[in-house]
Amino acid sequence: METIRTIVSEHVEWRSQIFKLAKADIIKTYSGAALGWAWALVKPTIMIFVFWFAFTYGLRHGGDIDGYPFVLWMIPGFIAWSSYMSDMLTQGAGCIRKYKFLVTKMKFPVSTIPSFISISKFSIHLCLMVLVVMIFIVTGHYPDVYWLQLPFYMLCMIAFFTAWGLFSSLLSAMSVDFLNLIKSVTQALFWLSGIMWDVNKINSPTVQFIMHFNPITYIATGYRNCFIYKVWFWEQGERFAMFLIVYIVMVILALWAYKKLIKEIPDVL
Amino acid sequence: MNENNENKVVIEFKNVTKRYKLYKSDKQRLFAVFSKSVKYKEKLAVNDVSFQIRRGESVAFLGKNGAGKSTILKMMTEVAFPTSGEIMIDGRVSALLELSSGFDMEMTGRDNIYLKGQLYGLKNSEIAELEDTIVDFAELDEYIDQPVRTYSSGMRARLGFAVSINIRPEILIVDEALSVGDKEFRKKCRQKVNEIIEKDNVTLVFVTHSIGMAKEFCKRGIVMKKGKLVYDSDIDDAIKYYDPPKPKK
Ligand SMILES: Nc1ncnc2c1ncn2[C@@H]1O[C@H](COP(=O)(O)OP(=O)(O)O)[C@@H](O)[C@H]1O
Ligand SMILES: [Mg+2]
Repeated sequence: METIRTIVSEHVEWRSQIFKLAKADIIKTYSGAALGWAWALVKPTIMIFVFWFAFTYGLRHGGDIDGYPFVLWMIPGFIAWSSYMSDMLTQGAGCIRKYKFLVTKMKFPVSTIPSFISISKFSIHLCLMVLVVMIFIVTGHYPDVYWLQLPFYMLCMIAFFTAWGLFSSLLSAMSVDFLNLIKSVTQALFWLSGIMWDVNKINSPTVQFIMHFNPITYIATGYRNCFIYKVWFWEQGERFAMFLIVYIVMVILALWAYKKLIKEIPDVL
Repeated sequence: MNENNENKVVIEFKNVTKRYKLYKSDKQRLFAVFSKSVKYKEKLAVNDVSFQIRRGESVAFLGKNGAGKSTILKMMTEVAFPTSGEIMIDGRVSALLELSSGFDMEMTGRDNIYLKGQLYGLKNSEIAELEDTIVDFAELDEYIDQPVRTYSSGMRARLGFAVSINIRPEILIVDEALSVGDKEFRKKCRQKVNEIIEKDNVTLVFVTHSIGMAKEFCKRGIVMKKGKLVYDSDIDDAIKYYDPPKPKK
């Protein structure tokens, strides 16, 4: 399709600017905060501590899952959610609005905006994953071959959420209502997608089947396949196929929105 | 010297028309993405406009508010797209569209200089060479290392002008950006603009409310009225057409 070719060639032509904008985006996110760079680490650490406290002494009475303390079980999926997926859901959707000056004041390929936002968020996510790996090692859970599939799930995650970013940011540029809708749905998705609980433990097979169409669930569970469950992704071919279907639909939606809206966006912003 | 090449057409509009869609509300605009049946009104902003601008020309667009001047400049910069007609642009465009032109508000002035330079395709080493010139030109002193959101509109305009003008454009597009600057700064801009037009054969396209400024900066004038191009000639005639001298009482 023509649209794919346009988007790809824009990315190739502007590749060095894309990385520079990603870098500037990271610096901007953290240079404003009082703690600066430490904030990237402090925020999730506090969150994990709060959840650990609540679930160990409060809600859950400290039960283990698959032989792992709950907090440890939670961490991989939670970090994937909090440092990348939730940011891409909301900030991905808002990125064209945020970088309005690139759209209305100079010639710039709009399709690359979600991409550099994605790179920016993923860089922070990678730093946190180093921390996660350290936590597992310190608590005596040493790396094994299953950890090697982590890049596979990261790739799935980037691919899906970058396509989502393009689709949702184009629609959000057309209408603030859409952006507000996304923001209010995000919190619900956190509880619905099995970030804090184990989807494998759902009794109803139908509900479980439906759950695995959710890409957030696929990726959070995938991260846990590496650290906790010790399952290879090809052992869950059906789930991957379901993810792939949703991903392809997302890409088609993004291309459709791009083709339809790209010339109107600057007039609206 | 190759006369032909010197005077080649760098901007060409062929029967360009631009209609804006106006929806009742934000929600209606969202629904319109999914359904064709949503009603909207249309605003004809630019109506069947054709012209050519050659390399090294300096052209002022004159016209009342809402005449379509800004829309034409946006289409030249390729940040707005015509509803019908063709536009040809040949050369690297540096545009200063309305106030505050294209800065990241959270970043410092200096970082913005680098960002802009990078987006224009310059290498960091090239930008570093221009950096001092730009900082001096903008007269921002210690504010250059403060976030742009702390600037006054005059300071933003100065930085915008300093960047656009020094970044080695081939086509310079300026929309009302100088109305906030003071006299001294305007004089400096005029000298610099004349310098790059003469030395580097830069093409200037200029929109202003002030007839005096149009005269200072440009040799050719195009008058717009309600989206139509109604007059195109040298600047003195265009001004006479646009703002005829009042008969004595
Ligand atoms: N983004 C937009 N959406 C809808 N209408 C617009 C938009 N931009 C300009 N217009 C309308 O188009 C007409 C021409 O505007 P403009 O090109 O800004 O005129 P000028 O710069 O000569 O004052 C005006 O009537 C204005 O209201
Ligand atoms: Mg205007």
